[in-house]
Amino acid sequence: MRIVLAAGIALLLAPPLAARGDELGRKVFTQIAQPACAICHTLKAAGAVGTVGPSLDELRPDRARVMDAVKNGVGVMPPFAGKLTAEQIEAVVAFVAGAAGGQ
Amino acid sequence: MEQMKPDVDVYRRRLLAVGAGGAAAGLAGWSPASFAQAAGAKPLPPFAAFKDASRLIVHSSKTLETRRDAFGTSGITDTDILFARNNLETPDASVTANPDVWEIEIDGVTNPRKLNVGDLKRMGLATVSTVLQCSGNGRGFFAHKTSGSQWKVGAAGNTLWSGVPMKALVEELGGVRGGMRYMTSTGGETIPPGLDPKSVMVERSVPWTAMEEAILAWELNGRPIPLAHGGPLRMIIPGYYGVNNVKYVKRVAFTVEETNAHIQSAGYRVRPIGEKGAPTQPSMWEMNLKSFITHPAGDSAPVRAGLVQVHGVAFSGGSPVNAVEVSIDGGKNWHAARFIGPNLGRYAWRDFVLPVRLAPGSYVITSRAIADDGEVQPELRVENHRGYGHNGWRDHAVKVAVS
Repeated sequence: MRIVLAAGIALLLAPPLAARGDELGRKVFTQIAQPACAICHTLKAAGAVGTVGPSLDELRPDRARVMDAVKNGVGVMPPFAGKLTAEQIEAVVAFVAGAAGGQ
Repeated sequence: MEQMKPDVDVYRRRLLAVGAGGAAAGLAGWSPASFAQAAGAKPLPPFAAFKDASRLIVHSSKTLETRRDAFGTSGITDTDILFARNNLETPDASVTANPDVWEIEIDGVTNPRKLNVGDLKRMGLATVSTVLQCSGNGRGFFAHKTSGSQWKVGAAGNTLWSGVPMKALVEELGGVRGGMRYMTSTGGETIPPGLDPKSVMVERSVPWTAMEEAILAWELNGRPIPLAHGGPLRMIIPGYYGVNNVKYVKRVAFTVEETNAHIQSAGYRVRPIGEKGAPTQPSMWEMNLKSFITHPAGDSAPVRAGLVQVHGVAFSGGSPVNAVEVSIDGGKNWHAARFIGPNLGRYAWRDFVLPVRLAPGSYVITSRAIADDGEVQPELRVENHRGYGHNGWRDHAVKVAVS
């Protein structure tokens, strides 16, 4: 119970920042990245239904794996380091890792 | 300087000047797909709904692996247990409704033409048996954190294909134009808008001489090729890794250069761990010499003591398999196995058997193939970034409890 409560308080205190990061992450995922992540990947939280790359809901990658894929590319996925700002990369990684469930 | 080299290097295990580069640090949080899967078997994806789920491992909605204990000993791998791996979204099922109307463009020949499968069926006919195997089969045994499907042994199967020999087709069109060095096949998948087609399209070049044995196939194991395996028409290059056998093939061109599609220029390249793919690295073309045990499979219930028929499969894309040896003590001692069933040709696999009397205890059972040219299947894998071409017998061993 206490954990839930603590989390609740944290959530109450945090929203502006977290929401902003999430918002940016979603935007990078669906619009800013070129090509947009959503073209190739399925991710429910972003309303994305791409089928070229793996479904992120299915893969459930953790933060480190997403970070590596975004920065360095993997398989046919191109690297985005240099194409996105550090802030944009942080945001999209946090958004994907959070939404896909691998934390 | 590249001109000094002969036309093309065919990938062979010994060609790999691949060192033990540092593992990519960024992948530290990776976990094998098999762990995620342990929670519960995933359902078959729609494109493979006809398959036998009980004899398959479903890695993802695009990747299915045959279970080690499912292969049987009849030589041919049933289509309903054959592994599948699609690179892009599978085309609409309507394309297989009437295979004869599927069109293909042939270029780089004296008289380039667009033909349909109906036309091809009038131009020649051959049936080949070949092992179809994913380049990453065995990736799941690598210790470094490779991305991609964590295949163990089952991204392979022995298959029968019928179609028109490329040789006959090319002859009909006046022969290959002079100076061409590659045969380049293009898949008919739809590329989502917004993507540079070259970044994701399935387009593969192989040395043009592969034409000698290649066929454009419309039949797999006695039936029209199902959509899941590339129907209505698939390029089949016996002895070459799966990716070269382009599905839904809509264009075949003889070309001077390899395609610059990403899947060729950077994908399916063998390189040290941590290094990026590049056209200078060996391409996943010809398959290496390999064998593995299929019974006992090792992951099921303990085996009852007494006489046991240890069996498996052996194959090669190069010098044909000549003999197989089996060890039940992790490679200390080897015993000659016997081939079973008919020889379906140099690119098919051969089932082998070794009867052994096993007392209660634990055993490490493995096999090694020996080729006509004297090459012996190696003990160890060659470390490489993407986990390609694993044929080391040690990792492929099964641990068996006998009681």
